[in-house]
Amino acid sequence: MSENKVTIDIGDGAAIPTKKDRGLLSAWRLAFFGAVGSLLYLILFHPDPYLRLIKFLPDGILITFQVTISAIALALVVGLFTGLGRISHNPIINLIASTYVEVVRGIPLLVQLFYIYYALGQFVRVPDMLAAVIAMSFCYGAYMGEVFRAGIESIDRGQREASFSLGFNRAQTMFYVILPQALRTILPPVGNEFIALLKDTSLVSILAVSDLLRRGREFASESFLYFETYTMVAIIYLIITLILSKLVGIMEERMGNHGRR
Amino acid sequence: MAGADPIIRIRNVSKFFGQLRALDNVSLDILSGEKVVIIGPSGSGKSTLLRTINQLETIDAGSIAVDGQDLTDQAADINKIRMELGMVFQSFNLFHHKTVLHNLTLAPIKLKKIAKEDAEKIAIRLLEKVGIAEKRNCYPAQLSGGQQQRVAIARALAMNPKIMLFDEPTSALDPEMIGEVLDVMVNLAKEGMTMVVVTHEMGFAREVGDRVVFMDEGKIIETGSPEHFFQNPEHPRLRKFLEQIL
Ligand SMILES: Nc1ncnc2c1ncn2[C@@H]1O[C@H](COP(=O)(O)OP(=O)(O)O)[C@@H](O)[C@H]1O
Ligand SMILES: [Mg+2]
Repeated sequence: MSENKVTIDIGDGAAIPTKKDRGLLSAWRLAFFGAVGSLLYLILFHPDPYLRLIKFLPDGILITFQVTISAIALALVVGLFTGLGRISHNPIINLIASTYVEVVRGIPLLVQLFYIYYALGQFVRVPDMLAAVIAMSFCYGAYMGEVFRAGIESIDRGQREASFSLGFNRAQTMFYVILPQALRTILPPVGNEFIALLKDTSLVSILAVSDLLRRGREFASESFLYFETYTMVAIIYLIITLILSKLVGIMEERMGNHGRR
Repeated sequence: MAGADPIIRIRNVSKFFGQLRALDNVSLDILSGEKVVIIGPSGSGKSTLLRTINQLETIDAGSIAVDGQDLTDQAADINKIRMELGMVFQSFNLFHHKTVLHNLTLAPIKLKKIAKEDAEKIAIRLLEKVGIAEKRNCYPAQLSGGQQQRVAIARALAMNPKIMLFDEPTSALDPEMIGEVLDVMVNLAKEGMTMVVVTHEMGFAREVGDRVVFMDEGKIIETGSPEHFFQNPEHPRLRKFLEQIL
């Protein structure tokens, strides 16, 4: 019986604290309570400018979340098709998907963002926010595609053969048998990508999207309080990603075990 | 069944894995209702032969017809043909993400468009038949090997196939669980199912086999009734094989 659980390691997200990793768990606690403690301390004892900052920044946090969630949703769709393309037996589809992954992985995200933003701008007038989301998901779709591919390939080939032997065709086998099982292996790295993407959305501040970082820049350039502003911005990013990585960890532990330990 | 057309007709089939000739000009006819047991040393091509029958392996030469439909014909709908061919694997291959009951109902609901309630009724009846209905809401990982294999047999039967293919169904099991799986297979044989069974269980071959086929190095070396096989095996390699295994 091959019951071994495959984990996919795409190490570019935040570290995910689980009960198994005691060291990481205490590091998480230290970082989280440290960040929250500093935040409270600054707001309570130095309300000027920190209280003003904490009132000014939330609009940006909202935008950051909006960009992150839209981009991840789109990236998941792109990633699914890219992953399927990468394992396709059709040489043309396979080549297209593989080339896409290679190209995206070979260009810095910031360069891609500029390129797509201005390339899109050449032909259509799209809102800044939408352009940013498209650019982010174009890039992350490639990484997500690799996650899907690895997840699909981690499923024992006996599952596919059992499905075929019952009369399912390739597409049905993928949909009813392989993907639902691959999801188990895919979920943790997708959570990781989600966190990585949230951090990388700070890059869209350059594209006239008023995310958290850009709101910070606006505040700083008016008040000249650069140090205080970026301290606050950094603490807020840290708290958000720490909460998310905790959630991913919990999800990973609770994920449908199908009777396995 | 006298004079009937064979339900499986294998003619001059060869299969290569790279340079390796896994099947070497194999021909075999199997009649409806017949129980054929395939034996032979490891690597002799038993699994490959069985898997060509439902096209889990494609063939490089020859032809195979199942229930009158030529598998090598471009127009043949292999998925339709596979519905007629239940298959049981050495490693069970139950769907890990589905409960026992849903392992049985998935294909009938999706492929035969059977209503969920009806599919579940049929599934429970089959699970009772293999003696495991009380585990219907368990996941495969919660079952023993013998239980999983009985569920796997029931899953194949849920598609109401005409033929059942077994590839060493008891080889991955602890010795104390072999009996419960063989019992299910014996009962199935009594009901008249057409069965092609690759196995090392010579007791089973003797009890239910109409015909035993001995393979070696991708060829069928000897075919005969179980009595013939075990009382006066002709080919020296068969004799050697039987000496080793008995
Ligand atoms: N997918 C495959 N790729 C390459 N060689 C294979 C493959 N499947 C089987 N073989 C080879 O074909 C021969 C016959 O294998 P198999 O039919 O599994 O034998 P048996 O079931 O009798 O033990 C063996 O030499 C085996 O190594
Ligand atoms: Mg074998």
